[in-house]
Amino acid sequence: MSTAVSDRPPASAPQDSEGSGPPTSRARQLLSGVVRALLTQRIVLLLVLLVAVVITMTTLSARNYLSAPYDLSYMSATLISAVPLVMLGLAELLVITSGRGGIDLSVGAIVSLVSMVFGFAYGEWGWPLWAAIVLAAAVGGLCGAVNGFLIAFIGYPALITTLATYYAYSSLAVVINNQQPISTQPIQDFFSAAGTVPVAGLQVPLGTITFLLPTAVVIWLLLNRTTYGRRLYAIGTNDVAAQWSGIDVRRTRFLAYTAAGIISGLVAVVTVAQFASARPDAGVAGNGMALPAITIAVLGGVAITGGIGRVAGVVLATLLIVWLNAGILLAVPGNAGSQFQLFALGIVLIFAALLNGLTQRKYGGTG
Amino acid sequence: MSSQTLSPAGGPPAAEQKHTAKERGRVLPFPITGQEIVLILVIAVLWAALAVSTPAFLTSSSVVPLLVAMAPVALIGIGMTVIIITGGIDVSVASIVMVCAVIVAKTMVSSGIPLPVAVLLSVVIGGLLGLINGVLIAYGRVHAIIITFGTANLFKFLGLQIFGGTTVDNIPGTLDFFGRGAAGRTLGIPHSFLIMLVIAALAWYYLRHTAGGRHLYAIGNDADAARLAGVKVQRRVLLAYVLTGALTGLAACFVIARGTSTLAPNVGAGMELAAIAAVVIGGTSIMGGRGSVLGTILGALLVQTVTSGVTQLGWRSQLSSLFIGIFILIAVGADLLRQRTRRTA
Repeated sequence: MSTAVSDRPPASAPQDSEGSGPPTSRARQLLSGVVRALLTQRIVLLLVLLVAVVITMTTLSARNYLSAPYDLSYMSATLISAVPLVMLGLAELLVITSGRGGIDLSVGAIVSLVSMVFGFAYGEWGWPLWAAIVLAAAVGGLCGAVNGFLIAFIGYPALITTLATYYAYSSLAVVINNQQPISTQPIQDFFSAAGTVPVAGLQVPLGTITFLLPTAVVIWLLLNRTTYGRRLYAIGTNDVAAQWSGIDVRRTRFLAYTAAGIISGLVAVVTVAQFASARPDAGVAGNGMALPAITIAVLGGVAITGGIGRVAGVVLATLLIVWLNAGILLAVPGNAGSQFQLFALGIVLIFAALLNGLTQRKYGGTG
Repeated sequence: MSSQTLSPAGGPPAAEQKHTAKERGRVLPFPITGQEIVLILVIAVLWAALAVSTPAFLTSSSVVPLLVAMAPVALIGIGMTVIIITGGIDVSVASIVMVCAVIVAKTMVSSGIPLPVAVLLSVVIGGLLGLINGVLIAYGRVHAIIITFGTANLFKFLGLQIFGGTTVDNIPGTLDFFGRGAAGRTLGIPHSFLIMLVIAALAWYYLRHTAGGRHLYAIGNDADAARLAGVKVQRRVLLAYVLTGALTGLAACFVIARGTSTLAPNVGAGMELAAIAAVVIGGTSIMGGRGSVLGTILGALLVQTVTSGVTQLGWRSQLSSLFIGIFILIAVGADLLRQRTRRTA
C-alpha cells in the first residue's frame, strides 16, 4: 500500500540485440535473458521450482531418506489436497485482480457455512445430489454477492468487509446446527466422491476431474476468451480509466466477488466428500482456508495491486506447494511434519512477495 | 470542523476563547470524534440493557473479568492503531502472543524468574519479532498484509516447535499481578486494565501532540508526499511494527495471567482479528491517515461487552462473532457516510 512506495525507475526498454559484440558479451546477454525470463515470467520460475522440488524429493526417496517412496502414484494421490487449494486460489485470483485492494478473507467461512447447508439438503432433506450441489453454489454465490455488494456498490474496503463477513458466516455456520456436524448415511456414502479413478495407469483423485479441471477451464475461458475477462483486467489496472471507457466498474467488481462465492460453495461440496461429514468449522479450522488460498494466488504471480494474474500461475503454484508439502510429510515424520509445512508456506509466501516487488521495480511487473 | 459550525457564544471573554479554539482547531482535530461519542452511547445502552436483563452483570465479579479480558486485546489494538494509521496492517500478532507466552511460561516453570524479568523477556521477544515484520515491510517494500501473513506462519511454526507438542503445565503464579484474582487489583480495579490505560494515554499524546506521531498520519495519507516533506518514512514504519511487537509481548503476559496454570498451543488464536475489529469499530480508517487510540479502547470495550453479554444472557457464545461482524460493518459504513458528506459539503 502506501508504505510500499519506491523510487522505481521506468521499466527498462527491451534491449536491442542488433549490435551483438564479442562472444563473452553474448553469453552475458543470454544469462541476463534467462534471469529476466525467470523474474518476469512467473510461469517459467514456477516450472523450474516445481522440477527442482520433484527431483530433490525423488532423489531423497531413492536414497531412502524418506519414510515412504515419493513416486508418481504418491504424487497423484496427494492431488486430493490440491482440489480446494486451486479452486480457492482461483477465487482469490478473481477478487484480487479486480483491484482497489481486492481480497477475500471470508472464503473459508463461506466454505463452512455452505458445508452445513449442503449437509442439510443432501443429508437431512434427501435432495438429489445435483440439486444439493446447485443449492451449494447458489448459497455460496449469495454470500459472495453480499461481499460484492458492500465492496463494489457501497464502497467498503475489501479487507474489512470480508473480515466482518468472515465473522458473520463462520458464526452462522456454527449456530445453524448447534455446533453439531451432519454425518447421516447419504453424507457418509458421499465419501465415494472423494475416491480415485484410473487415468493413464495412475489412480487420480476423482475431485480433480469433477471439480478442479472444470473450474480451472471455466475461469481460464472467462478471463481470456470473454469481454468480462478483459473488463476485469481493465478495472484492476486502472478503474478510473475503465470507468471513462464505458465499463460498468461496479457490476464487474460485484460479479468477481459473487464468482468467488460460487467457487467457495463448490469447494464446500468437495470438503464434505473428503471428511464424509458436513462440519461447521470445515473452512476455518486451524489456519483456515483463506490464508493458503491468498498465498497460492500471490505465489502464482497475482499482483496484490490488481490487474495482473493468470490461471496457469495459480495451478502451478498449487502443484508446487502440494508436492513440497507431500515431501515434507515424508521427510519429517509425525506432528512436526505439519509444523514444517507452516514454515515452508510462510517462507515461500515472503519469498514470492519480495520477488514480486523486485520484479515490479526492475522490469515493471510480471508477465 | 469550520468555525461557523461552532456554537456562537455570548460575552466578549467567550469570543476570545472561541478565537483560540479556532486557531487550535486548524492544527488538530477535535479531541473526540462523533464516532467515539456514538460508541460511548452504544456501550452505555448495552451496559444498561445488560444490567436490567441480568442482575449479575453490574457486579464486580462480572465487570472485573470483563476488564481483565479486554486489556490484552486493547493493548494490541493500540499498536495496531499506530500501524493502520500508517496505512499498514499486522495479522501476525496472534502468533507473536503465542511465541512470547510459551517462552515466558517455559522460563517461569524451569527457572522461576521474577515478575519484572518475565515482562522484560516477553516485551523484548515481541519487539524482535515486530522488528522482523518492520524490516521486511519498510525495506522490502512489500504490502504489509502479505508479509505479516507469511511471518504469522513462521512465528506459529516457531511457537509450536517450542511447545513441542504438549501444553505447558504448573505455571507459577508470578504473573498474578496482572490476573483477575485479589492480587491483580488495587481498589477493585484490575492492574492490567490500569496499565493498558496508562499506555493508551501515552500513545494518545504521542500520536496527537508530537512531531513523530503526526508523521505517522502523514505517511498514511500520502507516503510519497511525506517523504518529500522530509519524513523518514521507512524508519517510522519500522518503529510502528517494533512498537506493536513490544506491546503484543506485554499483552502475552496478561494472557498468561488471565488463564489457568496451563498454557495450550492455541493461546492467542483469533486475537489479530479481535484487535483489528476493535481498531476499525473505533473509527480508524483502514486506508490509513485517520484514527485515534481512544476509539480503539472503546472498540475493544464494545467487543468484550458483546462477548460477555452474549454468554451472560445464556445465548450461544459463537453468536458474539456475528454481532462483532455486524458492528464492524456499521462502524465502517458510518465512516464512509461521513467521508462522503464531507467531500460533497
